[in-house]
Amino acid sequence: MKILVCIKQVPDMESRFKPNGSGVWFEETDLAFRMNEYDEYAVEQAVRLKEQLGDAHEVTVLSIGPDRVVEAIKKALAMGCDRGVHVQDPAASLKDPWQIAAIIAAYARDKGFDLIFTGMQSQDRGSAQVGVTVAEDLGLPCTTTLVGFAYDNGTITAKRELEGGVKGVVRVKTPALVTCQLGLNVPRYPTLPNIMKAKKKEIEAIPVGDLLREEARTATASFHPPAKKGGGIVLEGEVGALVDQLVGILKDKTAVLR
Amino acid sequence: MFLELTEEQKLIQETAREFAAAELAPVAAELDGSDDRGPLLANLKKLAELGFMGLNIREDLGGAAAGTVAFSVAMTEIARACASTAVTVSVNNMVCEVIQAIGSEEQKRAYIPKICSGEFAAASFALTETGAGSDPSGMTTQAVDDGDSFVLNGAKIFITSAPYAGVFVVWAVTDKDAPKGKGISCFLVEAGTPGLVIGKEEKKMGQHASATNEVLFADCRIPKSALMGRLNDGFRTAVGELAGGRIGIGSLGLGVGLAAMDYATKYTTERAQFGQKISTFQAIQWMIADGYTELEAARLLLMNAAFRKEQGKSFAKEASMAKMFATEAANRACYKALQMLGGYGYTRDFPVERYARDARITAIYEGTNEIQRVIISREILRNFA
Repeated sequence: MKILVCIKQVPDMESRFKPNGSGVWFEETDLAFRMNEYDEYAVEQAVRLKEQLGDAHEVTVLSIGPDRVVEAIKKALAMGCDRGVHVQDPAASLKDPWQIAAIIAAYARDKGFDLIFTGMQSQDRGSAQVGVTVAEDLGLPCTTTLVGFAYDNGTITAKRELEGGVKGVVRVKTPALVTCQLGLNVPRYPTLPNIMKAKKKEIEAIPVGDLLREEARTATASFHPPAKKGGGIVLEGEVGALVDQLVGILKDKTAVLR
Repeated sequence: MFLELTEEQKLIQETAREFAAAELAPVAAELDGSDDRGPLLANLKKLAELGFMGLNIREDLGGAAAGTVAFSVAMTEIARACASTAVTVSVNNMVCEVIQAIGSEEQKRAYIPKICSGEFAAASFALTETGAGSDPSGMTTQAVDDGDSFVLNGAKIFITSAPYAGVFVVWAVTDKDAPKGKGISCFLVEAGTPGLVIGKEEKKMGQHASATNEVLFADCRIPKSALMGRLNDGFRTAVGELAGGRIGIGSLGLGVGLAAMDYATKYTTERAQFGQKISTFQAIQWMIADGYTELEAARLLLMNAAFRKEQGKSFAKEASMAKMFATEAANRACYKALQMLGGYGYTRDFPVERYARDARITAIYEGTNEIQRVIISREILRNFA
């Protein structure tokens, strides 16, 4: 079985974000980057599947971006993926989800992957489009927001998270693509010996120009922080009048008393 | 000049940071205030499984072969969450390194994999005696050759991890008549050896979860094969290995100092007095600036010493400089942090008083900072003689 995991490197979400010069993305200088949280669930599930099936089965991890994304690829290799693919693109953040999906599909098209794992969405862009678009592009069945996964003899049984805590179960035959949600598993820490051994695993570098044929279909017009909220309202005066004022405000400006 | 960590070092730092935040920080205060070492031992086991007990140890012996820079950044991250756990990890690494440096292949295979895997919860470095602290060559513990074995008699003090150590590296006098420091040898003594007695545990100011005990040898008979390195050559080894340990302790101090400054700085952005956040006062801003600047200098000294060791260059002076400066910067940082919290800093409802207590010993153990200054000045004066 050939398995592909697609990962993205994103900024630490506790960072302070500020718009970049062109105002369509954030300034990357001085940010610390790490593997997208949802992609960690994808890597963990792919490695668990390999452990279930045995060493003859291979997990490839792919990431698109500048040189720094090699660190995320190496983490996935240290967690147990077998080989890495780095699609070199210093301007990946300017690509829209359609293009990112097209790059992945172009790489995967003739490789015969039986199963592709992606995160449900990225923590920074959050479009949740890439996984499903890759599936569409490759003509694969797809199921999303997995919180449970089992594989047996060519059939995936996927537990999906729906709104309000409702769960659904989907069965799908491979080849297929799945997107992974929080709660699917607890990703392992890469052990230190495995971090060092991952140095010896192959990381194939492919210039993005070799894979991308698609124009962007959407363009980010603006990236900006929310408008600053005004200060709170301080009410002063007699208690009786204060209560009336407060009730008035709650009726006018909130849904509390409707 | 390139001052970036490698990708592997960054991943090790990230693993240490995430593990420390998830597993160590939540139990650190509880460990500080209780006698139950269960959570400590459980976390040591997990750290061993991740490879933190043999960072600078060969792969075939169960180590991570990750180098000294990785060791330093890992120690700092662990210490940010729990100094007691960090000192145990530091000593375990040091014991592994001394066995790797001078042990026979058989000794390496017998003990290092057990420390690295966590089969031994810890390992101990038994050098100090009541009358031989800064001057270890003044030790009186003896090992007498008795045909096919050595017989140990004497008492060691301040031995980290003694109650749960699986093996002890023990220094003892093997030639009473030799000049000072020339008649000391190094031995590996397994826990449970008859005559090896774990004595009373010290009640310490800080680093409570890490046990510090007296260790007694009463006609403790060990096989000839327990001798590590050459007979009467042990003191030189001890001095050499302590230099590596100093990078660990300096890094530990840095971690505690950073934890204190991070906590206090965040606090000053939330605490208001005179109608404004106290971080807007210049008195506080100067503490923030001074504290972080000193810790950054400490980090660079540590990175330099670790890098030199990793490159096989001389590093004793640099390790002493880093240990001395980092642990003193950490103590100053902890006291600044405590001041920034005001009265709350002095209470046990906030972690800063614990950081201050935990940091204090780092200027004392692994060679007092006075001894570090002796080493540094001796190395410098050598060039002027």
